Amino acid sequence: MFEFVSEFLPWIIQGFTLTVEITLFGIFLGLGIGILLAIGDLYGGKLVKGFIAIYVEFFRGSPLFIQLFLAYYTVPALLHIPLDPYITAFLVFGLNSAGYQKGYIKGAMETIYEDQMAAGLSTGMSRAQTLRHVIIPQALRILIPSWTNEFCSLTKSSSVVAYVGLFDLVGAGREIIGITYDVLAVWLVIGAIYLAWITGFAKIMDIIYEKKKIPGVELLMQ
Amino acid sequence: MGKQEKEKNRTVKTMTDVVMEARNVYKTYGKLEAVKGVSLQIRKGDIKLIFGPSGSGKSTFLRCLAMLTMPDKGEVYLGEQCLTKPGVDLNKARARIGFVFQHIYLFRHLTALGNVELALREVLKLSKQEARERALAALKEVKVADCINRYPAQMSGGQAQRVGIARAIARNPDIILLDEPTSALDPELTGEVIDSLRDLAKEGTTMLIVSHEMPFAREVAEEMIFYDEGAIVETGIPSHFFNSPNSDRAKKFMNRIINRTTRE
Repeated sequence: MFEFVSEFLPWIIQGFTLTVEITLFGIFLGLGIGILLAIGDLYGGKLVKGFIAIYVEFFRGSPLFIQLFLAYYTVPALLHIPLDPYITAFLVFGLNSAGYQKGYIKGAMETIYEDQMAAGLSTGMSRAQTLRHVIIPQALRILIPSWTNEFCSLTKSSSVVAYVGLFDLVGAGREIIGITYDVLAVWLVIGAIYLAWITGFAKIMDIIYEKKKIPGVELLMQ
Repeated sequence: MGKQEKEKNRTVKTMTDVVMEARNVYKTYGKLEAVKGVSLQIRKGDIKLIFGPSGSGKSTFLRCLAMLTMPDKGEVYLGEQCLTKPGVDLNKARARIGFVFQHIYLFRHLTALGNVELALREVLKLSKQEARERALAALKEVKVADCINRYPAQMSGGQAQRVGIARAIARNPDIILLDEPTSALDPELTGEVIDSLRDLAKEGTTMLIVSHEMPFAREVAEEMIFYDEGAIVETGIPSHFFNSPNSDRAKKFMNRIINRTTRE
């Protein structure tokens, strides 16, 4: 039943590689933008906050597939520049994930914000220095569990890239089925790869979380 | 300069000795008038103690002095620099002010040493080595050299607050503001913090302390300031308050405090 695995292994590996790339790139880009959005939402003026609210609602409120579709077919037409399909997918995933991660990051920052900011300022540090050396390092530690959830969900939603013709894990599965017609076996294998990758990654994040936990401080946020 | 002359210079305080001054400072939160036109001058080497009922705005006033809370009206001076003018670099000013919080507020993700080192590295831009030496010296001064590698949650309240004091003094600030440094601690832990403050007092550190530690006040304070409902009601040397305060409010408050202390 599973003989196809060895035959189509190069496809499966190629698809898996793209899935991992998109997810990792998306989550780190999302983290970077998410931190900026969280800071903007905490400190910014009305205009900045308004922009961030629209940003978040757009990326959280519309299907990822449609966001990807828009980026593929309308942005190049409007800007009259061809977009590399891979880079477009990376960017869409990063921007989309930032919409979710902003919420987690802001929440984490708010739980540590008031007193730690006052303490930082009282030592003569600027707001930016306190954010960088005090608030963000603590926020990132608190963030790890929700960040792991975001990773799991992003990995699974990454399969929408198959619709715009990219060859990810689901894309590979569809191609293989096109040849073998063995729907059940192929999806079982592809599903198992997702499961193994996500479980393994989440386990690593759990270990990092335990290691990075501030001694003596129990979970600050649940 | 002869020794006598030196003595004289120390005792005759001139305008230039003023380390910190509040002129008619106001701060209102919604309907609560926490600070209503408070003026206060602190000269080099002064140890002044503010006391009064809780919720009367003492902490807010102290935060206004450090510009951790922006006053609505009035001026705050650090030396000759007016901090309430627009365009002042408040970070630079705060670097010259030490602040000790009631709830300690150590950086939770850093060890005792890390807590003291951070501003030395980031604000004074000291080298790693220099920052470490100065931080260790400050921690030794408040007698917590044995827990330099502990995180805040691994220390007792008394140890943590002494680290808080070390963090405030390590930069050699012009003045240290202490906001009820012992009131969040278990009674048996206040002694060690008071001891550290007593040592600082002996060294001539300029301090403004919000506190209800009356024996300590009597021992080190040069002036006590009774603060109630957002304003200074009465000031005087400690014996004035312990013997015969003028205002009824101060009388009542002193009675309550003294009764409470003797009951314990």
